[in-house]
Amino acid sequence: MKFQLKTRQVCLFFIAFLPVSKLFTMPSIIAGCASEDMWISTLINLLLDLITLSFVLWTCKKTKTDFFGLLELNFGKLGSKIILLLYFFTFFFKALLPINQQKTYVELTLYETLPSFLNFLPFFLVSFFFCCKRIRVLGRVADIFWVITLIGLILIFLLSFTNSDFSAVLPIGAQGFINQSKGAFYSFNWFGDCAYLMFFIGQFQVKKNDCVKVFLSYLIPGLFVVFFMIIFYGVFTSIAFRQIFALTEISKYTIVINNIGRFDYVGIICILASNFFALALPLYFASLTLNKIFNIKPWICSLIVNGLTCFCVLAFAEHFASIEKFLSVYGNALFFITANVLPIITCVLKKENKENEVSAC
Amino acid sequence: MKITSSLDKNQRALKSQLESDDITFLPVSIKKRKGTIIFLKDIADKKSVGELVLKPIKDLNGNITVKKLENAFLSPEKKTVDTVEQLIEEIMLGNTAFLLDGIDVAFSFDLKVFEKRAITEPPTSAVIKGPREGFVESIAVNVSLMRRRIKSPSLKIENLTIGKFSKTPVALCYISEVVDPSLVKALRQKLKNIDIDAVLDSSYVAKLIGEHQTSLFKQVGNTEKPDILSAKILEGRVAIFVDGSPIALTVPYLLVEDFQSPSDYYNSPYSANMARSLRLLSVMVSILLPAFFVASELFHLQLIPLSFLLTIVNSIKGIPLSPSFEMFFTLLIFEILNEASVRMPRYVGMVVSIVGGLVLGETAVNAGIISAPTLMIVAFSGICLFTVPELEQVFSIIRLLFLFIGGSLGGYGLILAICFLIIYLVSFESFNTPLMAPFSPIVKEDLKDGIYKGFLCEQVYRPKSIKNVNAKRQNIKEMKK
Repeated sequence: MKFQLKTRQVCLFFIAFLPVSKLFTMPSIIAGCASEDMWISTLINLLLDLITLSFVLWTCKKTKTDFFGLLELNFGKLGSKIILLLYFFTFFFKALLPINQQKTYVELTLYETLPSFLNFLPFFLVSFFFCCKRIRVLGRVADIFWVITLIGLILIFLLSFTNSDFSAVLPIGAQGFINQSKGAFYSFNWFGDCAYLMFFIGQFQVKKNDCVKVFLSYLIPGLFVVFFMIIFYGVFTSIAFRQIFALTEISKYTIVINNIGRFDYVGIICILASNFFALALPLYFASLTLNKIFNIKPWICSLIVNGLTCFCVLAFAEHFASIEKFLSVYGNALFFITANVLPIITCVLKKENKENEVSAC
Repeated sequence: MKITSSLDKNQRALKSQLESDDITFLPVSIKKRKGTIIFLKDIADKKSVGELVLKPIKDLNGNITVKKLENAFLSPEKKTVDTVEQLIEEIMLGNTAFLLDGIDVAFSFDLKVFEKRAITEPPTSAVIKGPREGFVESIAVNVSLMRRRIKSPSLKIENLTIGKFSKTPVALCYISEVVDPSLVKALRQKLKNIDIDAVLDSSYVAKLIGEHQTSLFKQVGNTEKPDILSAKILEGRVAIFVDGSPIALTVPYLLVEDFQSPSDYYNSPYSANMARSLRLLSVMVSILLPAFFVASELFHLQLIPLSFLLTIVNSIKGIPLSPSFEMFFTLLIFEILNEASVRMPRYVGMVVSIVGGLVLGETAVNAGIISAPTLMIVAFSGICLFTVPELEQVFSIIRLLFLFIGGSLGGYGLILAICFLIIYLVSFESFNTPLMAPFSPIVKEDLKDGIYKGFLCEQVYRPKSIKNVNAKRQNIKEMKK
């Protein structure tokens, strides 16, 4: 059996795309709920993801068929299509909020003029192109973008680290479990990345120690995000919840910037480039599920998904607060089912070694 | 039509199709039997025809048979032909044909002599240290240059002919102990499938065997140097020679090949690493600098340090063109000058460079049509691109596209354009080899000769990015004994 991905690519996939999307508006949302304990809220979500990840990795190890085959084997054709439909909605809704916020970020902080929607429209064109590609392209993109993500993160961290007052996060746990859980709940949309791993089942060979490697490649960027939350609160303290686009602000007080200009933009540009893929990933998987449900050509699925997302972002631009509210109530429940419950259930499913043909690597 | 034993009949059949003033039908008489020698008078070596064909059969004793004639001819490259069509093909290839009355076959001899260019250093890949030989237009000379370097029976040459009218000789060259046989088979089939009027240069073949014929990026490598080609086929690639072209093609092709220069392998790895890093940096600067500069001027002034911003503001004061149009206009002038200097005779080309580069540029700045920073950026970007001459044409198109995107959509548009380019490149495969290997997918072993150039002793194995059947290329342990 030939595999589309290598274990290394799965690891780099998480390193490249897991942390970047969480650095834009998510910190301010969590800060609004958990203030100095925002890092604990992030940690809660991370732990939940890691538990789910362990189950998915166990499934990856035990089964030789891919995710679609596994669903069909256990739930039949109709059942598997219903589950895939759930995943389609998950990915579609999961993409909406961050893409809209990215649009706002780009329009408000990156441009000094007042850009039109046309400036953000190419996002959907490139995303359409990306969504037409086969799954191995994800691995190949990760092979390149992990370096870009690391450059961006290291640069932003180094520039902002010195301005952070770490004592601001003390005393630990002051906000109480309720506020911390609230922070975790409202940022749920940005987590649950192990749902992607479900689609990698059977696409890469799991050898000895590979599960540990994948686990660490999820854990380390996750801890990076937790650490970013600490720095973020250390820099902005009590006004952290107002810093909607903190990424452009967090490192601008360093002395280096005064001397050589907005050097931090190199890091921001790197993160923005990686973030394109982090945002397009849910759309990619939404297209993939659509393709599997209705068995239509990938480019048509990609066109539908990207067109629909573009329409929502364009049409509901003024009402996104309501969508956000809706997603935080109903969306999070759906996310929890598909990103945490279903992956855990998968590990108790029948894993007969039906040799599924996976196209050449 | 079969060749008959009647010379007159054969001659009539030939003459009806070979009506051209440069084709000679030379009547001869062997033992009172009539015969004819047919050749292209400007190509055949007449002295050799006399010495190797006519002289040996003149003194033949007894009954003349095909066997006797075959044994008598001294020409090492002889062929027996039994149809008129085949014979015409042989004559058109420049071979000399011989027909004898009473014999129902014809003989063909490869006695052609073409004027050849001397072996010189190719202008496209000059080196300070290292071999200076370059391929020429003769396929035979090019093959001999390869044989001179690789004296192994594993070096295989397969001859083919392509082109309905041109009948261009094409040769596949590979090392049978190294190359993946399926690659040779696929390539051979692709070449056989080519049905075109004429193949006038190897670039025709490169375009025709590519899997993505409309792609902006090339899919077949090329070189003009036998030392480079030897190194490439020793890594498991297949080379294609086309008669009439000094450029040999190599398959499969990796993008990183064009960032490697012959001198990297003859100098120390330290200087090679520096040179390769500079090439990569130069290409990035060349593609992105004009676009990012325009995007910064139009949309992201915060990106430009204040002192530099003041310089720009002072220099663009009074410029009638918008930043993006100004940059586009200057780049266009640069491209025109580049094109003109390549096409012009060398000395006139120098004048064009001076007039265009110095006079036109300075006058345009003084006249307030373009600003000095724009001119500097275009000049710098242009120079940077020439560090990787093989990709110059592709990247100059991408540079213009990026400039258009940067000027209209700003920095975020450029980021998306870069993402698009990367998705396109990583998904691009030719002959089952990813274009971006060894970086995407990462092939750890091959990174020792990617942008980083490792020491020779580190490169124990052949590149894994290129499928081969013999992985090891040197035995370090044996050498250390």
